Formats: sequence, C-alpha cells, structure tokens
Amino acid sequence: MKVRFWGVRGSIPVPGKSTNRYGGNTSCVEVRPKNGSPIIIDAGTGLRRLGKSLMEEAFRDGKGKASILISHTHWDHVQGLPFFSPLYREGNQVEIYARQRDMHLEAVFSAQHRAPYFPVPLSAMHAEMRFHEVIEGARFEIGDAKVSCTRLNHPWVAIAYRVEVDGAIVVYCSDTAPFADYLLGTDFVTQAPSLDGPLSPETEAELAHMRAGVINLAKDADLLIYDTQFTKEEYRQRPHWGHSHPDDAIQIAREANVKQLCLFHHAPLRSDDENDRILAEYRSVVAAQNDKFTLVSAYEGLEIPLGDE
Amino acid sequence: MKIRFWGVRGSIPAPGPDTNRYGGNTACVSVTSASGELVIIDMGTGLMHLGNSLMTGAFGKGQGKASILLSHTHWDHIQGLGFFAPVFIGGNQFTVWGPGPYGSAEMLEEILEGQMDPNFSPLQTLKNFSATFEVKAAPTAGTFEAGGMTISAREHPHGATTALAFRIEEAGRSFVYASDVGQPDADAPPSPEAIAFYRGADVLLHDTTYRPEDQATRRNRGFSTFEDAAAAAAAAGVKRLVTFHYDQDYSDDDVDALVATCRTTLDARGGKDIEIVPAREGDELDV
Repeated sequence: MKVRFWGVRGSIPVPGKSTNRYGGNTSCVEVRPKNGSPIIIDAGTGLRRLGKSLMEEAFRDGKGKASILISHTHWDHVQGLPFFSPLYREGNQVEIYARQRDMHLEAVFSAQHRAPYFPVPLSAMHAEMRFHEVIEGARFEIGDAKVSCTRLNHPWVAIAYRVEVDGAIVVYCSDTAPFADYLLGTDFVTQAPSLDGPLSPETEAELAHMRAGVINLAKDADLLIYDTQFTKEEYRQRPHWGHSHPDDAIQIAREANVKQLCLFHHAPLRSDDENDRILAEYRSVVAAQNDKFTLVSAYEGLEIPLGDE
Repeated sequence: MKIRFWGVRGSIPAPGPDTNRYGGNTACVSVTSASGELVIIDMGTGLMHLGNSLMTGAFGKGQGKASILLSHTHWDHIQGLGFFAPVFIGGNQFTVWGPGPYGSAEMLEEILEGQMDPNFSPLQTLKNFSATFEVKAAPTAGTFEAGGMTISAREHPHGATTALAFRIEEAGRSFVYASDVGQPDADAPPSPEAIAFYRGADVLLHDTTYRPEDQATRRNRGFSTFEDAAAAAAAAGVKRLVTFHYDQDYSDDDVDALVATCRTTLDARGGKDIEIVPAREGDELDV
C-alpha cells in the first residue's frame, strides 16, 4: 500500500509563505491498497486536492469507489467534504465511517451542507453516499483491508484507526491529548486545568484503559501517524484542548513497537522552519535512546510505501 | 478611512506556494476610521490573523471594541470566528451586523451558534466567548452607525440565497463592499438598484470570482466575473475598483491574468479613469 498526505495541519487551514513546505491544509491522509479503492482518513481541506486527483481516475467516469474514515467531526476533519469533486459525479460510491454521535451521522454531515452555510445540500450530491456508525472497539473490512479502532482523549470523543492491508499496518491517531493528566469528555473547559493535582481513581483507570487501547491498536505498526500539535510546553498551557506532543508520541511508539512514527496535525501557526527544528530535535532524542523506529514529520505530498506496493 | 485585506479568497482556503502573492485565506477586510475605530467585514479565515494582530493592542487587554459587518453566513465568510483571539478576552466588545432572516437577529444568532455545535467545534456555543458578542440584523433600508461611520446595506442575489453589500461613508468618502454577487441571467445589464448603491464610490470592492468561461458552467453558484465587476464599476462611475474573492483553484498567475483582462475590459467600457486595485492579503488602501 501507499500512504499519501494531503493535509497535515490542525485546527484551521493556514495559507501563506511560512507553510509552503509542510502545507497549510487540514487533516487528510490517503491509504491506497495495491489492488483496491482508496481508504481516506479524515476530510479536512486536503480532501479537495485529493478529490481533484481522483477525478483523473475512475471517479471521472462515475465508476469510482472511496471509503472515508472520520476520526471525529470537528471542522478541521470534515470541512473538505463539500469540496470533494467525486461527490458531484453520478455513479461514484462514497462510504463514510465515523463514530456514532448524538444524532445520526447523515444528519451531522447534512448540517455542514445545508443553507445558509453551504449552497448545495448533501441530498443533492450525485454520488451514492452511505454512512456507517462505528464505536470504539469495532472491527470491519473495506475490500481486503481490515480496520479496527479505539477511543482517544479528545473533547466529544475522537477515534483512532488501524488499517491492515498488503501485509502492512498503518495507524492514524489524531486528535488526542496524552493519557496521563486529564480526561476530556463532553464538558466545555474554560480554564486550563491544573496538572499537579491527583486524579480520581476512576479517571486514572479510564485514562489507563484508553492508553492501553492505543498501544494495542498501534502494536507492531509499520507506520504510526500521531497528533503532535503541541510542544511539551504548549501542552502544559492547554491540556484541555485534546492534543499531544512529540515526547508523548515517542513514548507510545516505543511501547507499541512501531517501525515508523509520523508527527502530524501541526499547529496552525507552526512555521516550516519550526517544524524542521522540532523534527531535528526529536530525531536526536530517538537516536540517543537507540529507538528502533524512524521519525518523520508529515508534509503535503509525502508518500510512504508500506508492505507490498 | 483605511482598508486592509486579511483574506481575499472565495469558497475555501487555498494554501500552497501558488497562492502566496494574493493569499489563500477566505474573506476578511478591516476598515479603520479616521479616529481609529474598527469595522471588520466578513469572518473568513483571514479573521484569525487580524485577531492575532489586534491582540498586541487594546484587544489584548480586554479594552477593544469593534463592529463586524457580515455579508452572509456561508462557511467561507464565518469560519474564522472560532479562531478570533479577541473574543476569548473578557471586556472586549463586538457587535455583528448581518443578514437576519426576515429581519430576525435571533435567527442570525442561531445560525452563528450552529457553527459552534459541539459535534463540529470544541467551543460548543457562542456563550463560551468571554467578550461581549452582540448580534443584530442589519437594516436594508436607511442607514446605521458602526465604528463612528455611516453604513447602508443592500441585499443582492447569491445563488439560491442572498448576500448583503455594505456602503461605508465617512467625511464625504465612501467604500462599498460587494462580495458574492450573483449574476443569475447571462448578458443581463447590471441591476439599476445595485448601480445606484455603488454610485460614485471612492472604492468599490466587487466580487471577481470567475473568468467568464468558468462562470458559464457554474452560473447557479452566485458569483461574478471580472467583466461583471468592470461593468458595475463603469456604470456606477466609481474611482477605484478592488478585485476580490478569487476562485480557490486560481493560482497567482491566473489572478494576474484576470486582473490584466479586467483592465482591458474596463478601458473598453469607458472606465479608463477607474484605477484597479487587486486585493492581496496584507495590502492596505487609503480611502
């Protein structure tokens, strides 16, 4: 399979000179099995360019099929969907998988398309769209690929996905806070919580359970894509935002015995030069610890072949 | 008054090296009055960068005040709001003037609230803003005041819906913001009511989303071409025309060509004396 990055940014798209190299589009990753239709993870603004490229294939003739796995429905993970060209061509089939919400998924996605926010309603899309509600722990198949998922520590719940196909494993783990300090749920948290106080035994157990789920999901992965929106210092100022940092990602990668770790979901105001510095800094950390995995940082256009190509 | 462009792109932000010169952020323009009061027009992703720049002044201390004129509530005109740092500082005061369906401010507020729904946004509700955030329906008859300047609003067609154009007047100078202007009928002359609204403006910012060949296949989306903008500018006898809301697929070179052809078109339509100012992120314009 091939993994290709179309959007690597968190929160909001950031056009401009300082993001030219890593890219300013929000989250979108394409997993392309050797024989099979694309499995897309998240539908940030990167999905627009992916859609244009797919229109040069079977999708142009209304014969394309794509599956989209959604980690959660925050804007930066869905805002590209209305601009996904294959949806506007009859005959194409698009399967959307996302975690069950408090209303049916089709209603959630319809809300993004309805007036007065967007001119074309979801019901007017010419492609055939199907919505699949999943919950953490679910296992299912897309063509030859085996997919499983687990819960992450993020406001209103996000899920991580593991995709196994062509003898290789890719795991997408975004968005999540570390599993040590604070449990995120449905409450809105106005102030950064203190990280010094002890956790209740219930909270500690739930976080430990979630962390074990992530380690298990990422076990022996060829590629682990991980939310590293923050630096360690930034995380301590905003532990309630539901994002992690490279030190935490490295610890998870180590325990899960992955082969390659990819820093992902870069903060919107992180410049290319800063991303370079972060990557260089943590490459020396990984080298100094004799870690077995390699470290990369996601940029638009990065393509990683895995297993049988 | 002084105008600054923070986002000039239409529909969806368009990052990448080929949009560096004009910019890839969606619609956001600031207007500062002679006495330094701030009016913001539209809340596309450019609003985040405007907000970050405001934080170094009174807004960073919770002592800022601004009015926001909202043309309509399509995503590319509101998607910057959740990333506008000054709304998270208590003491700051914002008044939004936008299109209230049936004149209802409550319905407009509910539409803005929808963007913050917890399925989509960690903010969950506008009520989590620390600043005062008042939403008003902009009257489309008569004038109202914002930032110490006199504002009038006019509704124009925009695809299946409508959008507001705004005319801002201060000390005999005038700036008209007319983005997302639908042209439902091919070859129709500019609407007389629109021309009356733009008449004699010192600066007319007009939707120039498309080249004519792209509008032809997408007329129902409710956008203008540079030809429509040139026709309106010439008919209304404005002094300067600002091109704006470039299609997300147009590279900087495409926009260069669009602006150059707009110049030729304007000359041919008797608008030789009208200066064209292409909107570019970061540029300022004195009116």
